[in-house]
Amino acid sequence: MFGRTVFLIVMVVTGLAAVAWAVYGSRLAPADFSFTNETEIATVDPALATGQPEMRIIQSLFEGLGRQSPKDTHFAPGAAEKWEISEDGRVYTFHLRHDARWSNGEPVTARDFSYSIRRLLDPLTYSRYAYEGWYLVNGKKYTLASELAAGDPVEIEMNLAAGVPNTVRGELLLGKLVRREASAAKSNATAAKGDDAEPKQDIFVVEIDGKERRFKVAEATDRVPKDVERCRQVLLDFREVGLKVIDDYTLELRLTNPTPYFLDLLAYYPLAPVNQACVEKYGSPDWLRPEHIVTNGPFRMVARRLRDRVRLVRSDTYWDRENVKLNVVDALSVDDRTTAFNLYMTRMVDWDTVPPAEVLRELLKEPRNDLNPAPQLTTYYFLLNTTRPPLDDKRVRQALSMAIDREEVTRVATGAGEIPAYSLVPPSMPGYHKQECKPFDPAAARKLLAEAGFPEGQGFPRIEILYNTDQAHQAIAELIRKQWQNNLGITATLRNEEWGSYQDSIQQLKFTVARRAWVGDYMDPNTYADMFVTGGENNNTGFANPEYDKLISDAATEVDKTKRMELLEKSERMLMDEQPIIPVYFYVSRNMVRPWVRGFYNTLQDVHPIRDIWIDRSVKQDDPRPNEYMEPVK
Amino acid sequence: MLAVPGGPYSAERNLPPELEANFKHRYRTDLPWYEQYTFDLSRDLTGDLGMSSRLQDFSVNQVIKEGLPISASLGIFALFFAIVLGLSAGIVSALYRGSIADFSLMSLATVGIAIPSFVVAGLAIMLFVFVIPIFPAAGWGTLRQLVLPSLCLGLAYAAEIARITRTGMLDALSQDYVRTARAKGLSEFMVAIRHALPTALLPVVSYLGPAVAGILTGSVVIEKIFAIPGLGWHFVQAALQRDLTLAMGLVLLYTVLLYTMNFIVDLSYGILDPRVELK
Repeated sequence: MFGRTVFLIVMVVTGLAAVAWAVYGSRLAPADFSFTNETEIATVDPALATGQPEMRIIQSLFEGLGRQSPKDTHFAPGAAEKWEISEDGRVYTFHLRHDARWSNGEPVTARDFSYSIRRLLDPLTYSRYAYEGWYLVNGKKYTLASELAAGDPVEIEMNLAAGVPNTVRGELLLGKLVRREASAAKSNATAAKGDDAEPKQDIFVVEIDGKERRFKVAEATDRVPKDVERCRQVLLDFREVGLKVIDDYTLELRLTNPTPYFLDLLAYYPLAPVNQACVEKYGSPDWLRPEHIVTNGPFRMVARRLRDRVRLVRSDTYWDRENVKLNVVDALSVDDRTTAFNLYMTRMVDWDTVPPAEVLRELLKEPRNDLNPAPQLTTYYFLLNTTRPPLDDKRVRQALSMAIDREEVTRVATGAGEIPAYSLVPPSMPGYHKQECKPFDPAAARKLLAEAGFPEGQGFPRIEILYNTDQAHQAIAELIRKQWQNNLGITATLRNEEWGSYQDSIQQLKFTVARRAWVGDYMDPNTYADMFVTGGENNNTGFANPEYDKLISDAATEVDKTKRMELLEKSERMLMDEQPIIPVYFYVSRNMVRPWVRGFYNTLQDVHPIRDIWIDRSVKQDDPRPNEYMEPVK
Repeated sequence: MLAVPGGPYSAERNLPPELEANFKHRYRTDLPWYEQYTFDLSRDLTGDLGMSSRLQDFSVNQVIKEGLPISASLGIFALFFAIVLGLSAGIVSALYRGSIADFSLMSLATVGIAIPSFVVAGLAIMLFVFVIPIFPAAGWGTLRQLVLPSLCLGLAYAAEIARITRTGMLDALSQDYVRTARAKGLSEFMVAIRHALPTALLPVVSYLGPAVAGILTGSVVIEKIFAIPGLGWHFVQAALQRDLTLAMGLVLLYTVLLYTMNFIVDLSYGILDPRVELK
């Protein structure tokens, strides 16, 4: 009896002690500024990240050659203090500032940028944004070894010894590619498909120091033919890529085409520098741990708690630290939008990035001092599978587009002030005239449908609208289904798939009509236009028009800015006539920001650098003075 | 898991085929499934559960190391609430059987079992965060942030325990030895606590096994609503994001935990019940 009681008491006490230890062992002092960051970020590595939540944190930790200025996201000096661009727009020369420092005190040099951009292009880094480096001469050829041809100078990276961190480069041999021999297995299996996806199976015959040697990409345990040496990879010689370190503080970048938006890309995180010593000492991903990571941005990462928060603290080695006002910033990884909203309403965070849509509708009914939706560089549209009849008929596609009442959709189904879209490229692109498809006109739509052979919708097969599982998309798809029913007399069904399956279906063209959204990477129409070239990975409609392709490639090489915009306008005109897509609406931002948060501006790309934010303690909740966020949108 | 569409590396923007092949090679999804299985199994047996494919900076072991203490705390607190609330309600109910107290407590218990935990959570948040602002809305770090989630999680189990305790107590109170104790002159309170309760506890202890299982799985919803960085949340995200290594690692962990808990419950029988002998 006594033993039993003791047992119970011991269990209870241990249990409660464990709880107390787990809770109190993790207490953190409160932060100056907290915000909800939508989800747990995938990574802090600038070369590997792809999403906006990651961007908010990486932009605070790393600084590229330039940064985005808070008010209008223009390119402002960052690690580089000045630069020159050649007449033909292809050569950029950057002069780095001498007082830019890493968080360990070392200076940021041009060599850091050379290392980081090479790392971004390296296929073994598995960067999804490697194409940001493809603007450089031979950048694409460096990443895609399949493009190597006889006569190219190559670098052969040998395998690493055991125990060496995976981020170190193996010994490099430099030579000239004599020829590639396709391996027997590959040519049998894939020659029919013309599939070049497995260049690693090839044997590379390379001339090094006058002697011919044979190499194959293989690990130490793989079997290779007798005279073939194993290597880690075979790449184009990096000296062929358009990047040159002129001296410690001067960097030259040479582009294949004059790219007017290249500066904007440089402010974006994939082209940010990483510290070579740190990366090579700890390997990936250990170098990203808060206790190891070396950064050069306005903030340092001091703590990272999975699915809880990332804590940033102002860096005391940053060159502009005097102008960074916030000291401790917490980015909370809250997945649930309602929970994020609750946190905002109970003042536990000062900035909610994405409040739930249903809540927004209620909130927008009255004027508020913390909500100011502004147009975003994101378009919501439907893909039409042009390889599936009857969608292969242009008239049918145009009819479907003209039968959608976009005003009703944005008023009823979305309700946060979204803007009906009649073009793919969002408005406010400087220098660009919008190209719109035909507006809402049910009578004309019916006429077109009749011309195509389906009077009053008779004989029109049942089509399916695909969307990824989400209440908002369901509401929109449901409304459009009804509109098509009422205006055209056709039947449509809905199909929702969870994100991964939906991605697969779109890529494999296993749909008739599918919902899509596209966020512009930079402030230029090309980020939308070049999606729809023949066979483009993000085309996904079967749209293939050689004239369109020519317009895009001509625009890429055109130096004259006005002429280039005209070419892009022509390409969108073509897209709006052929209608492989139906634009529906342009997104609006929905940030909720407390009045005492200053330095926070509405921008088209929804970028709000934390570096420029500060808290004004004198402002109270009902202060009549609007902060910068509440300024009316032009 | 490989039969499910989408993979550990699918994303919004599509890549050129050569780079897709690179990713396939890295995640070994270009190998036949039995080779992948053998590779993963032999690695898991060495204690290394692999790298998470979505939380790219972390290994599965690191994820578990961070999330387990948090989920464990939440679970222990919830169990604690459940036992304390359930036992008290059950005892009171049994002692005052047939009265209004008994009736209302048991009705509340039925309601508590029937309502899903996320509905309770929603109501609790509305009531105790906004109407009467005494608790924080979400998050992790202080004891106050732990109260509401534990309550919501433990409520259904408190209800079940209340009912089990009541039945057990009624059963025990009608036994001969209790009558003897009363005849000896002990107060009703002493009779109930010192003599009837230990016997009535046994069915509760055997319920703890499935209760822990339920709390482990039920925590998934509660952790999402209250933004608690525990394993339940990792588990859901791993499934939704096709993070195969993390999902597999967590399934293995849950299995081990459940087996251990049930084993401990069986062992504790030997200690608590003098009629059962540990061999």
